[in-house]
Amino acid sequence: MGFIDTDIHERVSYEQLLPYLEQPWRRYITDCHWMQEKHMPYTQPAVAGVDRADAQLPDGRPAGSDLGFMQEQLLDSNGHEYGILTGALDPSPSSMHGWYEMATALASAYNDWQIEHWLEKDSRLYGSVHIAAQDPAAAVQEIERVGDHPKMVQILLPIDDILWGDPFYHPIFEAAEKHQLMIGMHHNEPPIYYGKWPRYFIEWHTLIPTAHMNQVTNMIFSGVFEKFPGLKLMMIEGGFTYVPFLMRKMDQQYTDLRHEVPWVKRMPSDTIRDHLCFTTQPLEELKKWELLQIIEQMGSDQIISFSTDYPHWDYDSPERALPPRLDEALKRKLFSENARQFYPKLRRGGKTDGKSSRSYG
Amino acid sequence: MEKVVAHTDDLAPGEMMEAEFDGRPVVICRASDGDFHAFTNLCPHQGAPLSKGQLCGAPEPTDEIGTYNYKNEGNILRCPWHGREFNIKDSGRMLANERQKLREYKLSVEELSVADGNIILYK
Repeated sequence: MGFIDTDIHERVSYEQLLPYLEQPWRRYITDCHWMQEKHMPYTQPAVAGVDRADAQLPDGRPAGSDLGFMQEQLLDSNGHEYGILTGALDPSPSSMHGWYEMATALASAYNDWQIEHWLEKDSRLYGSVHIAAQDPAAAVQEIERVGDHPKMVQILLPIDDILWGDPFYHPIFEAAEKHQLMIGMHHNEPPIYYGKWPRYFIEWHTLIPTAHMNQVTNMIFSGVFEKFPGLKLMMIEGGFTYVPFLMRKMDQQYTDLRHEVPWVKRMPSDTIRDHLCFTTQPLEELKKWELLQIIEQMGSDQIISFSTDYPHWDYDSPERALPPRLDEALKRKLFSENARQFYPKLRRGGKTDGKSSRSYG
Repeated sequence: MEKVVAHTDDLAPGEMMEAEFDGRPVVICRASDGDFHAFTNLCPHQGAPLSKGQLCGAPEPTDEIGTYNYKNEGNILRCPWHGREFNIKDSGRMLANERQKLREYKLSVEELSVADGNIILYK
C-alpha cells in the first residue's frame, strides 16, 4: 500500500535563499539582518523545541534541512510513495504584517529554492507554492510563474490573522483553479485568543483547531466554493475530530440565516464533503470505535488524509498513531487514496499535462 | 536469561544509552543518585526511541498556581517526540498519568573494579 504524507516540513536558512534574491532584497538579509517577525511568548516546550529531538542533524543543522537525512529517517523507513512539502513557515511571506514587496521577493526565492533542492531531487516529494497573499496581484504573478510546475500541488496560505475567504483574495483562488492547484492552509501563529496569546503554550496548542474552524467557516460563507467549483481546500495540522461539530453547527446556522449569505447555495456540510480534506495530525489517542464514529458523523471516509508533520515534535507515526486493526480498505483511503483524489497532479504522478515546456528554478 | 548490556563507566549520573536485550531495544539510564535503571526503549504512545530524548528534571505538582518547583534533575526521562515524562526512580511511571509505566527490566551491577562494573539485565 502506498503512503502519501500530506504534511512534511522542509526547512530553509535565510542564507540559502540569498542566491535566489535580487538586490535590494538580498542586502536586507546580509547587511541589515532581516528576520521574520515572531510573536509567540513561549517556546515549543518539547525536548528540542519545535522539532523531534532525533530529527536534528548530527552536524548540528536543524531538523528538516537536509534531504538525505529526511530520506533516511522518514521517506525510506516509512515507505513513502509521495510527500507534500509545506515549508517551515519561516519565512512565511503571507504572514508578514507589512513590507509586502519583501514578502513577494521571499516567496519567489523560496519557490525556486524548493524546486531546485527538493522537488527536482526526489521523485516522491511534491511542493506548495509560497505567495505573499496580502498583495493578491503580486501573488497571482507568482502563481503564474511557478503554478504549472508539475510537482507544485497547492498554494500555501497561513492560518494567522487574515480570513482568506474575503473577495479581496479571490484572484488567488482564480489562479489556483487555473493551474489545478489546491489551497493548503496551515496555522502559523494564529491569534486564537482574542487577537493575543493565551497564557500558556498548552492552551494555544490545544485550541489550534479553533483557528482552523474560523477559516473553514469564513471560506464557506464567503461563497468561495460556489464561485470556484474546481477549488479544494486541505486543512493541515488541525486534525479532524472537530469536523462533525462544525458541520452540524454550520448546517443549522445556514438553515436559519441563509438570507445573510444568499450566494451560498448548498448545505455547508455538503460543501465540506465535496471541497475540503483534513490532515490527521496531531491525532488524539482514539479507540477504533471512536475513530469510526467520527468518520460516520462526517458522512464520508474520503476527506481525511494521514500526515506525519515530520520533523516536528508532535510527529505522528504512520504505524502507531491510528488505532490498530482498521480495515484495509479504510487504511488505504486514509494513507493514500484520499490524498491522491484530492490533488489532481498526484494522480498524474508528477508528469506534466503536456501544456508546459518551461523550466523552473 | 542474562546479558551484560553496558559498563558502569559508560554512563555518568543523568546520562542514558540504548542497548539491546532479548531482541528488544532497551534504554539504560543512570539516575542522579548513581543507580542504574533499564526500560523498554519504545515510548508506549507511538514507539519513539526514548534514548534519543532527555534525562532531565520536571516541575513537581503543586497547589500553588504560577509556581514552578523544578525537581528530580536527571531522573525524568522525557520522550524525544511528544515530550511525555517518565520517572525512572518510580518504576518508569508517567507523570501525567500514573496508571501508565514503562516496561522496566531487572538489572544488577557486577563490580569488576572500584571504577567499573558490568550492568547485567536478566529475566
